[in-house]
Amino acid sequence: MPEAKYLLVGSSHAALEALRAIRLVDPDGSMAMLTRDERLPYSPTILPYVVSGRSGSDQVLLRDPAFFTANNCTYVPNAQAVSLDPKAKAVTLASGEVWRYQSLLIASGAAPAIPPVKGLDGVKYHVLRTLADAEGLRAAMGSAKSAVVLGAGLVGLHAAENLAEAGLKVSVVEMQDHVLPGYFDAKASTRIEDAFIKHGVDLKLKRKVVEVSGPAIRVTLDDGGVIEADLLLVATGVRPVTDWLAGSGIAVDKGVVVDEVMRTNVDGVWAAGDVAQATDFASGKPALIGIIPTAVEQGKIAGQGMAGDSYRKDYAGGLPVNTYRFFGRVALSIGRAAATDGVEAVETESGAYRRLVLEGDRLVGYASVDEPFDVGIMGELIRRRVDLSECKDAFLARPVETGRRLMSEQWR
Amino acid sequence: MNKVSTGKVIVCDGNEAAAWGACLSRPDMVAVYPITPQSSLVEYLAQFIADGRMDADLMDVEGEHTVLSVLHGAVLAGARTYSATSAQGLAFMFEPYFRTPGLRLPMVVSLVTRDAVSPTCVWGGQQDAMTVKEVGWIHMYCETQQEILDTIPIAYKVAEHPDVMLPVNVNHDGNYLSYGVARVELPDQSVVDAFLGEKQVNWHACLDPERPMAVDPLTGGAGGIGPSMFVKYRKGLCSGMSEALRVIEEAHADWGKRTGRYWSPLIEEYRMEDAEVALVTIGSMTGAAKDAVDAARDGGKKVGLVKIKTFRPFPAARIAQALSKVKAIGVVDRSVNFGWNCGPVYQEVLAALYALPVRIPMMSFIGGLAGADITVEHFDGVVDRTFRLAGGEMAAGPVWLNEND
Amino acid sequence: MGAAFDSISFKASLCDGCGDCMTACSEVKQGASRISIVPGAKAGSFETAICRQCGDPKCVQVCPSGALDKDGGNGVIGWDASKCVDCLLCTAGCSYGGIAVDPKVARVAKCDQCDGDPACVKVCPTGALEFRKAGSIFNEYGAKEDLFVPGLSGCQGCNSELIMRHAMRKIGRNSVLATPPGCIPGMGSVGYNGKTGTKVPVFHPLLTNTASMLSGIRRYYDRIGRKDIVVMALAGDGGTSDCGFHAVSGAAERGEKVLYVCVDNEGYMNTGMQRSGTTPYGSWTSTTPVGEHMKGKTQDAKNLPLIMTAHKCRYVATASTGYMEDLYEKLDRAIEASFEGFSYLHIYSPCPTGWRIPSSKVIEACRMSVDSNFNPLWEYTNRSGLRFTHSPDNAYPITEYVKMIGKYRHLSPDQLAHIQAKVDEQVALLKLMAAESPPPQAAHRAPAGSSTPAGAELTQPARREIARN
Repeated sequence: MPEAKYLLVGSSHAALEALRAIRLVDPDGSMAMLTRDERLPYSPTILPYVVSGRSGSDQVLLRDPAFFTANNCTYVPNAQAVSLDPKAKAVTLASGEVWRYQSLLIASGAAPAIPPVKGLDGVKYHVLRTLADAEGLRAAMGSAKSAVVLGAGLVGLHAAENLAEAGLKVSVVEMQDHVLPGYFDAKASTRIEDAFIKHGVDLKLKRKVVEVSGPAIRVTLDDGGVIEADLLLVATGVRPVTDWLAGSGIAVDKGVVVDEVMRTNVDGVWAAGDVAQATDFASGKPALIGIIPTAVEQGKIAGQGMAGDSYRKDYAGGLPVNTYRFFGRVALSIGRAAATDGVEAVETESGAYRRLVLEGDRLVGYASVDEPFDVGIMGELIRRRVDLSECKDAFLARPVETGRRLMSEQWR
Repeated sequence: MNKVSTGKVIVCDGNEAAAWGACLSRPDMVAVYPITPQSSLVEYLAQFIADGRMDADLMDVEGEHTVLSVLHGAVLAGARTYSATSAQGLAFMFEPYFRTPGLRLPMVVSLVTRDAVSPTCVWGGQQDAMTVKEVGWIHMYCETQQEILDTIPIAYKVAEHPDVMLPVNVNHDGNYLSYGVARVELPDQSVVDAFLGEKQVNWHACLDPERPMAVDPLTGGAGGIGPSMFVKYRKGLCSGMSEALRVIEEAHADWGKRTGRYWSPLIEEYRMEDAEVALVTIGSMTGAAKDAVDAARDGGKKVGLVKIKTFRPFPAARIAQALSKVKAIGVVDRSVNFGWNCGPVYQEVLAALYALPVRIPMMSFIGGLAGADITVEHFDGVVDRTFRLAGGEMAAGPVWLNEND
Repeated sequence: MGAAFDSISFKASLCDGCGDCMTACSEVKQGASRISIVPGAKAGSFETAICRQCGDPKCVQVCPSGALDKDGGNGVIGWDASKCVDCLLCTAGCSYGGIAVDPKVARVAKCDQCDGDPACVKVCPTGALEFRKAGSIFNEYGAKEDLFVPGLSGCQGCNSELIMRHAMRKIGRNSVLATPPGCIPGMGSVGYNGKTGTKVPVFHPLLTNTASMLSGIRRYYDRIGRKDIVVMALAGDGGTSDCGFHAVSGAAERGEKVLYVCVDNEGYMNTGMQRSGTTPYGSWTSTTPVGEHMKGKTQDAKNLPLIMTAHKCRYVATASTGYMEDLYEKLDRAIEASFEGFSYLHIYSPCPTGWRIPSSKVIEACRMSVDSNFNPLWEYTNRSGLRFTHSPDNAYPITEYVKMIGKYRHLSPDQLAHIQAKVDEQVALLKLMAAESPPPQAAHRAPAGSSTPAGAELTQPARREIARN
């Protein structure tokens, strides 16, 4: 029975950071990384670029075999965990193999959330979560003339842009009244929407799909409209992969419930990344924030906990971040960039769009379109709740310059 | 028996004789700083080096403290060294002087003895050398220019002996010996080379990257092995001093075989065979004292003389033995032991004679301070007073020989 | 792990906002400048945004395409244009604006340190930007043998121990080391009770005769042809400037081939923090206490290194552990010079225990002592005269330095004014000497085994001096 002092289930950002954090403290403890994927680690975020052909499948891998050798970690692909027995400290794989552990990291990520749409299970549709998905979509795109995308989140819009740029006639269906809901306010979204419209994408906002039929795709909307297409992509979000934890005693809400240091309710088991339900920075309430920066942070904290690193700090809560490129343009947001209630929003709309969101003298969110800013600096100002009262006018007038100044003063 | 060498004969003063003794001993380094009455000694050395007669590194340094300090460094690197000083120079040198025997550094330094300030005085007297007698250096006092020259190679032989490993002061009286001129026979260099053999200076401690070690780590403090280690070092120094008595005799004998000049190594007994009273002298005063003894003998008085050559280590047993049969002793010093208020040599002889079953009356005579002459007439007076002492007159003293000159 | 890297440092106090760095960067990189200079909080002050080449780089961690990677050799975070998909997530990872969007090409751009010869640093006219080689030093000397036992009993944060260990790593085993009474042997370098604390020949000279003993050692080794041994002292300021000064002065006058390193902690720290000749005016010591009638030392310190320049030494320099590159370069030159004549290196060494500095702040105090001109960094040879190795211009007021140090806590405004006046006086004198010095070309030959050509290192700061004066 294979055994590892540190068993990491998952192979993307959270698990890789946990590996690194563990090895900083414990260079020798046995370690294994199990992944249901067949490849070496890669980031789901890269997949739209594989679809577009900008990145080759073999070019996007984040680590090579030598890395795992150097870090004394056994990398086990095609290893889908199907159950966990915390009493026996054992993870069972789909193959029937059982891995024993001393410390376990649940970083099994997320999988596409498939909406309960009538007829959807009877047609061939695409999702975009794995390299295989991306390769499949890219292959299908070659022969298709039209596509319909369900969901105008990041994955949906990236794919829509890829498909449109490849010459397909593209429709996007979104329940909300604007694209990229949550990250951008309506004014920012409008600019993005305009770009899609300009590039011939048919945006169906505030619309629900009531039925899908096939084999030739036919999508019926709640307003009675019908979209016919050669290709259907479902990009209506993701859900944490927690099914394999059923019966294990691990507390699962929307995701695996963790405390401020990424521990689950079960001794010796941590969780991080898209699968984990940690807290939101702004509200302090449980939240799923499935982005790379939170996965990295959570993975590091979990790894430190697993290895007993005394420098571990509590998780400060996830801060939404979005760096979005569309048709060569830039839209960025961080924090509560779309908030309206109880905040002061300072918007600039001539030329580029900028929206600074403040609570008193503290920045809580920032979004822009066509005007890049240092997302990381603004993130620090938000996370550190930096008092801007001394420089508020300068900050509002020249946020990038003032932000750089503030951080330069802080860390020389 | 080795062939006795008869070298070149020159006429020179005691300082030059010392310079020749040093030159023939082939030191690697000579460090100097001038002081009366030593100055001409270092000038001779400098000239020897300038003339290529002597192959040594000459270090003209900024003071006697540094004189001895550079020699410490040089010895620890492996050098044979030489220097000379007097009075205030010795006083200024005292800090490194004090640690030289503790480090067991074999080196030879001439003391051209002089009375020490104050009162300000630049003339002969042995107050300087007598003041440092407890430090751990070997002290040998010379009587003549020839003895100065001969004693310096002997001193190296003693200092570098593995059973000794101690620094040696070869002392000669300022003014009388330093500037007094006499016939001196220079041994051949080959004789001195054969006598001294291989230089042995730093086998026990060195500062050499090829033999890294700490020289003189902190030692002692209550608790731990420190204090016992410190005692071990102190006893080792005492042992070196004890062994030196034997080694000094061996070295003098060896020198005598090679040169024909047999100097008394520890003490010289002069006409002591049937002596009823004895004088004890040290250094150059001995010549006049011997004249006085001869005159007294001519007058039918049975008087003898014991000259102390080696004052440290103190040859107590030999002195006790030499003086054991006399009825009274007069000890003549050229310095003062303040507190006891007598001569330091007197004090030492007194202590040595405690080992005898009888108590022999003794008196302290102090003369020759500040360059004053101790004449034969002075010694005649000493002889008379010592006989009166033997005859039962009370001892009094000390007697200051030059008090009424 | 364990590797350290060179980096570009920015000193806001020296930046005049000229923007030459940005122009140079744009030209070299044919695009947006990788460094940006932005206005500071006060008028005329400036700050910067530039990649810090973090040891724990968030930009790398959040990159989904593997386009960013930290080079294990030089520490530079490299950007692979062919892998980058322009997602800009890296900009969310960086807290310093060190990786930012170049609007012209709509891609990210970041500093790559120009292969170890940054264009921005080369053009900086004020010295605000420096390419700090502490990383190379750490790597190079971290790999060398530490010549002291691990358990030296120095106080927490002891700067002298740092100096000892660094210096001896640099100097190596072919040396003879004198450590006269003081903290350096006191912490065990010569050892205790028959055991040594050092792997090279080491000894306690007397407090008063260090330079003399070394003279004797060197002379004899030269005599027998072992001329490659470094004969050296790590001595305190008391034994050097006070009771042992005759020996130092004499050895220097004679041109003895000795490396004399004075570790100046401004007093007799080992014996309980008494005053020495280098204790500064106003300083509390246990023999210049603070009470109703006395407020610390009432005399100024003697400037020992300046005194040594009058000895026609082969080399004289001041150094500080606050500026290790400078210290190492000077050690190189000082070692080399010690084979030719008397070589004197004066290293300022704040003492956390005796000066009342938190042990974690000692290096900051070292830096501030230099940056406030309290301890100006310079070097001197007879051939090239005096030159500053750290600009004395735009210095912090002396109050910034003394407020870091407990032994000055009692100072009155008058005393502070006195100290400032004396510091200004001293710098003015040094500047006069520097102005009268010939240009430093060919003043030094490159030290053997030096990793950098000394000539190149020398001309650059000198040019700055001339440009400023």
